[in-house]
Amino acid sequence: MNLDFNEDQKLLFDTVDSAVGRGYPAGGRAEATSSELGWDEGVWKTLAELGLAGLTISGEHGGADAGPVEVYATLEALGKHAAAEPLLDGVFLPSWLIAGLGTEEQAEQFLPALAEGATTIAVAHAEPGRPWGSAPSVTASRSGDGSVVLTGVKSPVRHADQASTLLVTAVEGGTTGVYVVDAGAAGIARTDGRSADWSHASQVEFAGTPATPLAAAGVDATTVLHTAFARARVAVLAETVGLMESALAHTVEYLKNRKQFGVPLATFQALVHRASDLYARVELARSMALWATATVEAADGGAGVDLAAIADDAFVFVGDAATAVAEEAVQLHGGIGMTYEAEVAHHAARLTAITESFGGIAAARRRAVASESALRVPSALLNNA
Amino acid sequence: MDLELSREDIEFRDGLREVFTREVPEEVRRRNALSRTTRDDIVASQRILNAHGLAVPHWPVEWGGKEWTPTQSHIYASELQRNSVPQPLAFNVSMIGPIIAEFGSEEQKRQFLPATANLDIWWSQGFSEPEAGSDLASLRTTARRDGDSYVLNGQKTWTTLGQYGDWMFVLARTDPDAPRKQQGLSFLLLDMTTPGIERRPIDLVDGSDEVNEFFFDNVRVPAENLVGEENQGWSYAKFLLGNERNGIAQIGTSQRVFADLAETAADIPTETGALADDPQFRTSMHSARTTLLALEATQLRVTGASENGQASPVSSLLKMEGTKALQELSKLRMHASAEDGMLLDAGGPGEDPLRADDAAVVAAAQYLNQRKLSIFGGSNEIQRGVIAKTILGL
Repeated sequence: MNLDFNEDQKLLFDTVDSAVGRGYPAGGRAEATSSELGWDEGVWKTLAELGLAGLTISGEHGGADAGPVEVYATLEALGKHAAAEPLLDGVFLPSWLIAGLGTEEQAEQFLPALAEGATTIAVAHAEPGRPWGSAPSVTASRSGDGSVVLTGVKSPVRHADQASTLLVTAVEGGTTGVYVVDAGAAGIARTDGRSADWSHASQVEFAGTPATPLAAAGVDATTVLHTAFARARVAVLAETVGLMESALAHTVEYLKNRKQFGVPLATFQALVHRASDLYARVELARSMALWATATVEAADGGAGVDLAAIADDAFVFVGDAATAVAEEAVQLHGGIGMTYEAEVAHHAARLTAITESFGGIAAARRRAVASESALRVPSALLNNA
Repeated sequence: MDLELSREDIEFRDGLREVFTREVPEEVRRRNALSRTTRDDIVASQRILNAHGLAVPHWPVEWGGKEWTPTQSHIYASELQRNSVPQPLAFNVSMIGPIIAEFGSEEQKRQFLPATANLDIWWSQGFSEPEAGSDLASLRTTARRDGDSYVLNGQKTWTTLGQYGDWMFVLARTDPDAPRKQQGLSFLLLDMTTPGIERRPIDLVDGSDEVNEFFFDNVRVPAENLVGEENQGWSYAKFLLGNERNGIAQIGTSQRVFADLAETAADIPTETGALADDPQFRTSMHSARTTLLALEATQLRVTGASENGQASPVSSLLKMEGTKALQELSKLRMHASAEDGMLLDAGGPGEDPLRADDAAVVAAAQYLNQRKLSIFGGSNEIQRGVIAKTILGL
């Protein structure tokens, strides 16, 4: 029984923490996200050199074949600095889909380049006005010669502007699948913009766009999609914990240093107790995120656990904490906390976007509440019922 | 990371469960689950545990302690709660026992420790006073040295279960001229049959009288009943704060309440079906469930840290959030019962309500009683202050 990093994982966290910290001085997220890339080129290069782009990719495809705890350590360190590098969206998530769904040729084609950090792939699933869990309205149609084209709209697609390839969910003859689309293919109209967390996001329209099914024979795309999204919902919680811890630290410093009525804000118990409550929420959320990560690791080791249910439970709990931290950190800073220049605004913006990611917290709560697990007696250990 | 108990820990846990469920009578555990434990239940339960070497595992080995690992200590606290076993009396096993074992004379250890472990002596806590609650060091009860005894004058309050107390450990002021209020306090052991002691029960909002006031009028305490050194009482009281923190979040208790409510909900009718299918109820239960998972994971992190010899500063967090979670569950239990749960008694104060063995019937009494959880043992406001000061540096 153990929810701690081992020595290697500690070292990994420290390494990423210092590497990202150097590239993200105060105000770093504002600068990085307003660049053409949407993240910091130097930091990305460093992450790639450290082999982190290959974290979730098997050794045979040039990756590190690491587990969920390494993913956690890396993403928590990114979150700590409100860093914008799209390791999860642009590398980890597509790598899980490609490894789970793709043919060996497709794995060969995409995974080594991802592992090197030479490219990113955008996963296009969200659609305007359509619940995340419903079948896509984008359709795939196949002509007589077997070629496939996609028609419909995806939005928002995170980091689509920099992606070399899109993985697009679409329905073909009533069945949901994932399709590979070259970013430069004919019949794509992309409108770029920014997401609430200042990162780049696009609306992508497909009008008879050529696509290739991401499909090895006999693999059920829906199952792989659900599992990959469940993994992503757990992985993003590590970034959330890093963000929350930093937002709280900035807030505590502000309470110590900011003076009103001739005294530091920390003189006022009403404010101090709110900081203490935030601390409690952050630590409980950290425990939940670590527990969910350990559960994914156990599942990878063969334990029979319901990944999607665990991801929903953890996402809801940590997401509620993220909302509280984002709101309180801004409130306790006052007006300055709402400015683009304030460190805490970076954290609040990203925390807000995270709570609505992968279908959002309300949908996760709906699923969890409807699931039979809602009334199951909670036990954090797998063999202690 | 690893989410499994080791084979040894499972054997250890199963051994505890065997004693807890086979030896402690079911009706005793049932009453405890309903917060209707009697004095005799507590005594019987602790003597059974003591006979199995399980009443005072955290004492020094020579007085019955076990030198368990932090994981084993966690399992012990958790299994007591999950199986509704009345906790060994905290005043005996968590408070005065460790203090006498650490600071008492050899004579005091021989006289008191075995009887304290077996609950042959029922101890009461003489700390709080009307003007000294969270601010304990402001206490005013005096102990004036007179020949070979101390003469005690003053008032103690919130004395939980003091109606059963054979002895009381009293924190009293022996040097009223000490420069700081924390100085000049001494730790005295008081035989409750001594002349000059008056008890008044305090009636509580839930219809119970589990707390009392005590008045001391020239009560003589033999000088040999001073623990440790005169005027060093505050440091002994503070020693308790660093003592046993396992079980502080009451996660095992909350798990049991959750299990009971989840199981019952299928049989509680609503206008449209069963409570178990009510979206509002399920949403509340899901929130309780995830909170308990996060609390247990936090407890596991703390236990893991102490396995590695590190102290963890989060006991304030566990106390505050753990008791909030249990209070929330008792509120859900009450909402599930609605008016069925409103009955405090039948036939007069102090009598049980009809159907008192039904969790639905005693729900309001339990809910009201559990308001105490966020007040005693350092109120939530005190815990927030501790977090701010010791962790956040505010």
